[in-house]
Amino acid sequence: MSDNSPGHKGPILEVALPTEAIAVRRKPAGEPESFFGRLSYNMQFIRGRGPLEISIVLLVLLVGYITASLISPTGFAFLNPYNLSGVVSQSVPVLAILGLAAGILMISGEFDLSLGANITLSAIVFIQASEAAGMWVGIVAGIGTGVAVGLVNGAIVVFTKIPSFIATLGMSFFWMGAGIFINGTSPAALTTSREGTMEFLFAHDFGFFRSQLVWLIIIGIIVGFFLHRHRLGNHIYAVGGNPAAAEAISINTKKVKLMSFAIFGALVGFASILIAVRTSSIQPGGTATEDFTLFAIAAAVVGGTSLFGGRGSVIGIIVGATLIELIRNGLILAKAPGFYITLFVGVTIVLAAIFNKLMEGKAR
Amino acid sequence: MSNALLRIEGVSKKYGPNTVLNDVSFDIGKGEVVGLLGDNGAGKSTLVKIMSGVVDSTVGDFFWDGKKIDRMSRDVTEKLGVETIFQDSALVPQMTITRNIFMGREMTNSFGFMKMKEMDAIAADVLDSVVTIEGIKSSKQLVSSLSGGQAQAVAIARAVHFKRSLLILDEPTSALAVRATEALLGYLTQLKGEGVSSVLVTHNLHHAFQVCDRHIVMNHGKKIMDARREDTSVEELTAAVVEGAVGLARFREGAF
Repeated sequence: MSDNSPGHKGPILEVALPTEAIAVRRKPAGEPESFFGRLSYNMQFIRGRGPLEISIVLLVLLVGYITASLISPTGFAFLNPYNLSGVVSQSVPVLAILGLAAGILMISGEFDLSLGANITLSAIVFIQASEAAGMWVGIVAGIGTGVAVGLVNGAIVVFTKIPSFIATLGMSFFWMGAGIFINGTSPAALTTSREGTMEFLFAHDFGFFRSQLVWLIIIGIIVGFFLHRHRLGNHIYAVGGNPAAAEAISINTKKVKLMSFAIFGALVGFASILIAVRTSSIQPGGTATEDFTLFAIAAAVVGGTSLFGGRGSVIGIIVGATLIELIRNGLILAKAPGFYITLFVGVTIVLAAIFNKLMEGKAR
Repeated sequence: MSNALLRIEGVSKKYGPNTVLNDVSFDIGKGEVVGLLGDNGAGKSTLVKIMSGVVDSTVGDFFWDGKKIDRMSRDVTEKLGVETIFQDSALVPQMTITRNIFMGREMTNSFGFMKMKEMDAIAADVLDSVVTIEGIKSSKQLVSSLSGGQAQAVAIARAVHFKRSLLILDEPTSALAVRATEALLGYLTQLKGEGVSSVLVTHNLHHAFQVCDRHIVMNHGKKIMDARREDTSVEELTAAVVEGAVGLARFREGAF
């Protein structure tokens, strides 16, 4: 029945007000005019949302490192180009991209503990496809694998309503096995295909930084605009923050969660390419990639992402990842024994989580 | 009859062998505030879910503005302009007021990116003009920094801004302090002036009696009373809510 259509009768509008009419910019009452006044006014809304506090911690640490390195260039070789380009600018981007992956999912209110297994599988597929059919096929196959793994995990979580924590923990063993199934137990290695374009794109040394850092900037900007400025990004926050409210306003929470899992998978797939090109070989079922699962979640938490969904920011997560890698780097430079590193990173994570908890109430 | 915004006829809902709603019919007039009362388990929340399109009724007809609606699905109710404000869960606490107001209805450019400045300005305007809310400094504030009453008010302001035609408020006052409750009841009266119909679901009779034009009392899935405010009293409503049809009959015998 066409005359059932509700739009043409009565006071009902099908669309929002023609808001263009009021688009004349009007400052909210009480907002100061001067530049510094506005800055401090806006600061009160940034305080307690994560990035500001963690950035201060990072700055203090950096100042300390630089001072130490200037005083004793050999004893604490932080500013040495080998360290900056060889260690910092290789490890920070990978962890930051993985942190963004885990962070987006956490904002939507889910976890994926198969992140490490996903890296191994995507990297193996990337290596094999690149060796067999060239780099571009390899890139598509690698990222595609990451997305596929994310979507399968997401579908299980969304449709069965099993907590993602346990569902993806189980699936992580499955994907680990899948890596061995595809590749056998010997390592998958990049040989001739790594030369030239691939090395330049994903691991080239430009002196003080490497290609990975450029990728982090590109991905950070894209993800930042998507998450903070796009309506779909806004829906991720809504679904993670209060699923009932999102549902009540007709946001399809299942779709949004699946989308988050897909974005997660794409970022993990991309990071696995960076890892594979850096190390040239990947061990199926190995623990080197497994460690990334918790480190990625740690980067997100240190960067102010809530463990309960709805809160987190791109800048915060990148700063969080940088902080973790700098602590790791500093301990290595100070020649601390290996177990100190996990110990210190562990303490950092717990402190960050406590700090987040305290801040959650203070945010305005 | 013709000026009813929503007319419900013979609605029943069965979950397996359990009949939760049994042949319920009523009208909601344009600009009318209707109180939906009843004890726990009376069928109020099922009725709310059916009206907002979350749950299908087993049998029953629906008329919107005199026209029959084939099925009250979520899409249809969204288009008609039905908005349900559930207690405590209408807003996302971690998001700003602006983002909450525009949640799911963001103003975007053709690539889907949000026009934050315009949205902020309109949100500030909505906070100033639609309902007057005390103590909100800026639309950039997080909802978690608001009190329960302020948050409810923002949810109502949102519904009004988007020209919703029927507001269903599910137990809105149960978590509020006295003053916030008074303010909220004030908004409902304000809404009437804007031509918005609303259904106030509550078991607090005194709140309902202050603002509602009409009261519908449910008991064990049946409508046992439907009276305009001038034809009833708090005492009669109390008897109906607390003791059901029997209590109502006894009250009327005693009264007349």
